[in-house]
Amino acid sequence: MNDFIPLVVIVPLLGAALCVVAARSRRVQRVVSLVALSSNVITAILLLVEVDDEGILVSQAGGWRVPIGITLTVDRLSAVMLVVSSLMLISVMVYAIGLGDEEQRFSAFHPIYLALAAGVSASFVTGDLFNLFVAFEMMLVASYVLLTLGGRRAQVRSGMTYVIISLIASTFFVTALALLYASTGTVNMAELADRIPDLPDGVRLGFSLLLVVVFGIKAGVFPLYFWLPDSYPTAPGAITAVFAGLLTKVGVYAIIRSQTLLFPPDDRQGSLLLVIAALTMVVGVLGALAQDDMRRILSFHVISQIGYMIFGLALFSLAGIAGAVFYVVHHIAVKTSLFLVAGLVEFRTGSGRLSNVGGLVRSAPAVALLFAFPALSLAGLPPFSGFIAKFALVDAGIDDGAYLVVVASLVASLLTVMSMTKIWLAVFWGDAEAASVDRRLRASRSPLLMSIATGFVVAISLALIVYADPVYDYAERAATELLEPAQYVEAVLGGDDR
Amino acid sequence: MFVLLALHLVVGVSIIASGRILGRRAFLVAAIPALAMCAYALTRAGGVLDGDPVTESYTWISGLDLAIDLRLDAFALAMVALVSGVGLLICLYSLGYFADDHDGHDDHDGDDDQSIADGGSPEPPPAVGRLAGVMVLFAGSMLGVVLTDHLIALFIFWELTSVTSFLLIGNDDRQPRARVAANQAIFITGGGGLVLLAGLILIGQSGGTYLLSELAADPPSGGMVNAGLVCVLIGAFTKSAQAPFSSWLPMAMVAPTPISAYLHSATMVKAGVYLVARLAPIFAVDGVWRPLVLVVGAVTMLIGGLRSLRQHDLKLLLAYGTVSQLGFMMLLFGAGDFHIAEAGIVLLLAHAAFKAALFMVVGIVDHTLGTRDVRHIGRLGRGWRPVLIVGVVSAASMAGLPPLLGFISKEKALDGYLEHADFGGGTAVLIVIVIASVFTFAYSARFVLGLFGMFRDPATAPHAADDVPAGHAPSVAFWLPAAVLAVFTVVAGVAPVIIDRLVEAATVALYPSSEPKPVELWAGFTVALALSLLIIGVGVALTLARSPVEEWQRRSSKLLAPLPSGEDGFVAVLTGITVVARRLTATLQNGSLPIYVAVIVLVAILAPLTGFITEFDSLPDWFDTPAHVAIVAVITAAALGASIVHHRIAAALMLGAVGYAMAGLYVAQGAPDLALTQFSIETLSTVLFVLVLRFLPRTWRVRAPALTTPLRLLVCATVGVGVFVFAIVSSTSRSDVDAPSMSEEMIEAAEPEGKGHNVVNIILVDFRGWDTMGEITVLVVAAVGAVSLARPGRRRDDDEAPVFEEELDALDEPIDDGAEAEEVWG
Repeated sequence: MNDFIPLVVIVPLLGAALCVVAARSRRVQRVVSLVALSSNVITAILLLVEVDDEGILVSQAGGWRVPIGITLTVDRLSAVMLVVSSLMLISVMVYAIGLGDEEQRFSAFHPIYLALAAGVSASFVTGDLFNLFVAFEMMLVASYVLLTLGGRRAQVRSGMTYVIISLIASTFFVTALALLYASTGTVNMAELADRIPDLPDGVRLGFSLLLVVVFGIKAGVFPLYFWLPDSYPTAPGAITAVFAGLLTKVGVYAIIRSQTLLFPPDDRQGSLLLVIAALTMVVGVLGALAQDDMRRILSFHVISQIGYMIFGLALFSLAGIAGAVFYVVHHIAVKTSLFLVAGLVEFRTGSGRLSNVGGLVRSAPAVALLFAFPALSLAGLPPFSGFIAKFALVDAGIDDGAYLVVVASLVASLLTVMSMTKIWLAVFWGDAEAASVDRRLRASRSPLLMSIATGFVVAISLALIVYADPVYDYAERAATELLEPAQYVEAVLGGDDR
Repeated sequence: MFVLLALHLVVGVSIIASGRILGRRAFLVAAIPALAMCAYALTRAGGVLDGDPVTESYTWISGLDLAIDLRLDAFALAMVALVSGVGLLICLYSLGYFADDHDGHDDHDGDDDQSIADGGSPEPPPAVGRLAGVMVLFAGSMLGVVLTDHLIALFIFWELTSVTSFLLIGNDDRQPRARVAANQAIFITGGGGLVLLAGLILIGQSGGTYLLSELAADPPSGGMVNAGLVCVLIGAFTKSAQAPFSSWLPMAMVAPTPISAYLHSATMVKAGVYLVARLAPIFAVDGVWRPLVLVVGAVTMLIGGLRSLRQHDLKLLLAYGTVSQLGFMMLLFGAGDFHIAEAGIVLLLAHAAFKAALFMVVGIVDHTLGTRDVRHIGRLGRGWRPVLIVGVVSAASMAGLPPLLGFISKEKALDGYLEHADFGGGTAVLIVIVIASVFTFAYSARFVLGLFGMFRDPATAPHAADDVPAGHAPSVAFWLPAAVLAVFTVVAGVAPVIIDRLVEAATVALYPSSEPKPVELWAGFTVALALSLLIIGVGVALTLARSPVEEWQRRSSKLLAPLPSGEDGFVAVLTGITVVARRLTATLQNGSLPIYVAVIVLVAILAPLTGFITEFDSLPDWFDTPAHVAIVAVITAAALGASIVHHRIAAALMLGAVGYAMAGLYVAQGAPDLALTQFSIETLSTVLFVLVLRFLPRTWRVRAPALTTPLRLLVCATVGVGVFVFAIVSSTSRSDVDAPSMSEEMIEAAEPEGKGHNVVNIILVDFRGWDTMGEITVLVVAAVGAVSLARPGRRRDDDEAPVFEEELDALDEPIDDGAEAEEVWG
């Protein structure tokens, strides 16, 4: 099973290569994409089952031993991230095929989307900090291209912000890598975990903060998130869903991984992260309240909810991290589906501006339903997955006496309810406005494929209600694993004859 | 019981799905779950009343101690009777209400006589079906609230009632007032719900359990519990429309009348009272509970009664009356004494019966006459007699007249506070109850007088006929459900023995060791009776002198006008939040790339610096050879120059100079291969820069350079100095780690294992080939992206997309943003 790990990166890359070759046939491209992405879903599920039974999986790329080769590892956190992300990637691909538009107009769409998929998977499976940088670059360069694929003025403009800030983050990441290598002589994460405790206090603190900042930019935490709401809303319809659902979560994953694995418990930035979490939650949701466009509202909510995940991590307790893991899983499904619904709304009405649409509960009750479930979930209303996640975090927070952050999270939660009802009131209730329609998007009925893809993602988030018990148990096991990094280090270094 | 809750879900969803086909018949289907629940409750009533609760349990998430534990005890049984019994009647009533009316459009303010147009839409909207479906879902949620023993499960159902009532209140969604009312309701109850959640978790964590039955057995105490209780009470107050959270309830009257009758007589608003009733036996004795509940309840009871007295809209009159009665119930259940709570249970039943009936009466009037403003209602004809009788009987029960159920509840309440209020403030509460009961009498009278057309004002009611034509009378089916309730009011009043067992068992369910007094109409010549007579007497006087009282009210309300009402408060809070949100976001999310970059860069340097600086104790030698000095001087000068000039090509060339000088540094360090690579990269990128910059204006505008240039230099210097410190500190700390570097092992392994002499090559293609694969992908993707972005004229068919030159203009814009941003800095 260990040898399956590289497949989650290689298969999409092979698919991407095939799609470049088959640039002239959209049908071949579609088949290749769907096959590659489904293969990832299957591999990810197999890995998850295996890792849950057998413990952490390790594979050395190219068979080169630690430390000269690159380590690939899958632990429970990686496995669940792989499963959720691969499910989202294939759903959004199906949706994109249904939507047409960019997917039809650009033969580059499929290969680049697959490269993005490879980058996302590579980030989750790598056990090497430099390779994480490479995975980030794959993901980011693919996202630059997808963001600006339409070539519209607003896209190029916001792409600029996105590219420049991402490059700055990359520069800092490379700098951090160089510095880490300079002081420890390695970039293998297990070796780093082994060696960092020997460093002086101030240096450990410095590295810890530097990595928080680097990954914080990608995750979109306060005060490093500015690029996110400016760029996400302009991306092509289906693409925003993947960006919002997955990309920032890769940053969150990296924060969780680096904070739990690399630094000894004393150096973890608990209280700082709690403050960041509180500010991120509140500032993000206030940003959402100031918007009047569906995608912009949802983009700001991405930020706010990153705050919740950081909140769970920052407690560094079993319940906190388990809550954070559950929150990430829930959030990816819910956020992706909301953006897909926003796409459906735009597809039907030609606009996502709240003032331009209305009355969809009558003209498109199915879309209203597809919006209602994830929206209620996002707002943390029971019994939806968002409630479970929020309850887990608030429970853990109160248990740890982190009252201020709990209050912040509840305030943010109320404001989230407000902005979801704002969308509901404007888009689904009221009279239909005469919309100014972007002709390219005008249509009378949502094509089946888009709705099916959206429905599938919504169904995943609903399944989290029914299977909350096993999923939460899994999250707890993942958290246990994260809080005992010795397991990870042993899995990578222990079996080696060095 | 799970089956029955699931039945509500299934029936509700199917009705919504098939609303278009069913039309108003949906309410017949909606009656099925209510009927089933009633039947179930009846079959279990025997055992439950004997103190033998039915329990069922389902573990949801064991790791979080989340479970749905259902427990049907006698108090829950009483609530079920309200929820499902009244629910059943409401369903039947709705059949009449929505007859020849497919959209429930009749709801508008009394002041606003225009009926809201249907819009004449070709297909009837599924609003009625949807309404019935959501009502079933709501009923299921409400049953969940009263049936769970687990606090978090209770919370889950509690929030579900908030969401479903949001949908019910806003059902007529094309009416702006309905949307606003729904929004306000969910904001207040949803906000209260979150506070409640925090409170429940605090209590649950202190008690070690979320089960009410276990908490009752072993009540926790302490600061955390008190904080939790305050939170829980706030949640309960919002739900039960207590001051200062009561504004949403009157606004919610915009909902169709059957919904108002259901939500505000028997269900939704009673949830808060229910929770208080459940927790009072456990926590009332302790700390903050009693003062908080009693003060809030008393204020609510008084204010609700007073405001009710000045309403012209019968429905609003009832709404404020409901607020007042809810305050009354808080006073009874919150006291934490079983005698008083017993009165509360009787009141719960009495209120459900009379308030639902009164709402139904208003609905009938409104539906038939098209108005519910007392100034527009004329004398009602013969056919109206049953409706009037129901109205009078129910209002009399509300006013507390014998021999009706309302009288018994009031009597018991007075008796409870007279005889058993052995806590501070008991007498004050008693006085409040007496005064507020006078108000209750007065607004009940006002309701009856209004119904009989005594307030008709021909001046303001141009189209109200003097007498309503007889043919316009409501049908039997329409008023029958209300009549059933009125009959209950009378029978239970005359022969309270029929509810005695339920009330007694419910009291024992709340207070296990209590010995409640029997419920009886005639308790002898007591002080309570004297107070009842006093209330009636003053009430009659107040009603007779209603003109001066109204005048006084009008003046006092003018006097009070500058004080914020609950509604104003809500609007102020909402506006405040929006304003703060907009200002904050406009400041933070200002769209200026230079500011974003500056903030991010400063954070990225200053935060880690706090750690690294503490280990910064020794500087290495400044330079090895004089060549270093020269090279560093070039780098510094070129870097400074690049950040000062406003000429694009010059800036690009200076960046190139930095790169070449770096290569020089590599040469000086003895790494010619690295230097060579650097040279080629710099050459290539400088050429590319110049090629691209040809298309852009040669310079860019800078506003207020005197200020922004130093700031930019400061940021640059911070980065330079910061990274310098990082580098020094991290390389000096290498000695603390006693392990070989990767590079050493790689060099060792290169020949024997990698079969190559050039270590760099071996690393790139063998050892770290996985990285290389990724980097190749990056390059290919970038190339493909550049091609697809720059392919000229690729969208000739799409007239909205810019052509190539325009795109380049667009590329230019963020730099203009820079200029704007710098203005912000100024």
